[in-house]
Amino acid sequence: MTAAITTFHPPLAQPGYRLFDGPLRDVTDAHADQIGVVGMPSDWTHSSRLGTRFGPEALRRATSLLQSLRPQGASFDPDTSLHTVPATDWLIDCGDAEITAQDVDATTEAIAAMTEMLTVAGAIPLALGGDHYNSFPACLGYSRGLAKRAPNARFGYIQIDGHLDFSDRLGAWGSHNHATNARRISELPNTDVSNMVWIGITGWVDGGDLVLIEEQGGRVFSAGDVQKLGAAEVMRQALAHAMQGCHELYLSIDIDAMDAGYLPGTGSIVHSGITPRQYYDLLDGLAEAPLGGLDIVEVSPPLDPSQRTEFLSAEMLFRVLRRFRTRPVTGPVTEQ
Amino acid sequence: MPLRSAPLPRMAGHLSFMRAQTKAIGDVRPGDLAVLGVPFEDTSAPHAGQSLAPRAFRETSVYFGWHANPQFSHPVDIDARQDISTEGLHERLCDLGDIAPGSEDAIHASLEAATSQISRNDACAIILGGSDRMSETVQSALPNCQTAQLGGTPDDARDFHVAPLPNGRGTPCNMDTAAQRATFSRWRDPSRPLFVRFDLSVFETPLSALCDQPRLGGCDLETVMQWLELLGQQEVSAIMLTGLNPNRPGMGVVKVGQRLMVTALLAFIYARLGFGIENPGRQTSKEYVLT
Repeated sequence: MTAAITTFHPPLAQPGYRLFDGPLRDVTDAHADQIGVVGMPSDWTHSSRLGTRFGPEALRRATSLLQSLRPQGASFDPDTSLHTVPATDWLIDCGDAEITAQDVDATTEAIAAMTEMLTVAGAIPLALGGDHYNSFPACLGYSRGLAKRAPNARFGYIQIDGHLDFSDRLGAWGSHNHATNARRISELPNTDVSNMVWIGITGWVDGGDLVLIEEQGGRVFSAGDVQKLGAAEVMRQALAHAMQGCHELYLSIDIDAMDAGYLPGTGSIVHSGITPRQYYDLLDGLAEAPLGGLDIVEVSPPLDPSQRTEFLSAEMLFRVLRRFRTRPVTGPVTEQ
Repeated sequence: MPLRSAPLPRMAGHLSFMRAQTKAIGDVRPGDLAVLGVPFEDTSAPHAGQSLAPRAFRETSVYFGWHANPQFSHPVDIDARQDISTEGLHERLCDLGDIAPGSEDAIHASLEAATSQISRNDACAIILGGSDRMSETVQSALPNCQTAQLGGTPDDARDFHVAPLPNGRGTPCNMDTAAQRATFSRWRDPSRPLFVRFDLSVFETPLSALCDQPRLGGCDLETVMQWLELLGQQEVSAIMLTGLNPNRPGMGVVKVGQRLMVTALLAFIYARLGFGIENPGRQTSKEYVLT
């Protein structure tokens, strides 16, 4: 009996999952160079298969599990031999924005208010979707916050996606939905289409949208371009294009750019041929990029009974946040 | 009036293959691509659900019919940077519906009669299976036909096989264009009808999550599309899609297999319609380039 008592471990200080098992904090607690996580459990702005409203919780669960497999001081990042560090100082999870189904204005403003506050504080908002529409309010708040923090600063934009999402309107859904988010972002005052880049586009796209993008100087890399040029080279070119005359980068990660054979748990599947390794190579190319804000969207756990979608997506976050969550090895590694 | 011209959401409205016009079989014209569903369940299959495949194909195909929605300007193949013509699709792709359920004998008889009638009209039947047992019925409706088979288990050594099951001899699945096209050309007898069997098992297993016959190896999407484009340039009498079970246990929400097959099938459809082929009398994709 005594042994049982002495081996008792206290429960978690906070119930539920937070991204990377990080601390739960209010957006007002954020400070500079910290990742501030905002959940966007909303999928009613998607036009076909729903379920992404369960995405934020799945990402929190998956990153927490993966983080637990990489304890401090006991694991290397296999590609860089850097230490993994716990999410105690570099990340705070601010919980979910208030979603008001069927009220696009209320939902948009609720999300934007959180990412704006984080940005004003100098933190980097990381928004968890949700369908891809929610990328717009996340970026809207970032744009507003950037305008307050650095009035003359401009941001470049990279969207990894199987689709352009550059329509002005979509059928019954109007102007604010998962097919118009990039168009709405292009209308923000501190960015420009000439600093917008799309990567992983596959299949058919609307020709008018493509013309509009390219005539205004935007750049589109198809999934075939990733195959031909290589993921690292595509991202190198994309970053150079997006950052021309810009101070920061906003990144939108739509998981559906990955081939649906590997990653079926998303609303708008495509067979892009992009493998998990290629997707991770793309994100590795952003490890040192001047990220101002980012989102990851379209994780739909109900559409993938195997759950591999949420773990592949969690690994995407491990990749793109490498410089935050790892430290150089300065001495011998010991178990802790 | 094609059904797809209405600006409907994808899941709304009448369901037809790629939102194509519906037709009675008697109205099929020479050169048409006539879609026909065979919701037939092979009761010896390892899992139940094959009969749901035709509907699954149609549901996923609407994504590709959606590109002809008038709210969009014109569809572009982003990799090829070429416009996709929708004019020919409107005119020549049609959906005849499904073979009515009934006794197995009655289903065989209906399928044989329908395939035969479509062939006599110099049209091409796109048959959405269903069990691959029905392929014998299609063959019987096309006397003296040659059969090209993608995936699946070989039945006849005289057929032309691409990535057959089992792949014990390590048949290469990558298309060696020169050598394999030459082999195909030698095999093909243009005086005989051509039947194409397109089984989901032609794909490598990681891409075809819903195949009842998982395999080692297999083709990637690009290779299968190359084959289907080549076959689509022939005067094909019928192509039959088999091997999809959209209802594998616990996987009913995963739409990967049907999207994979329909994505590949587009290469066949576009080739049959003459898009991208330098063939006098046929429209080439260049005529439609607007950008």
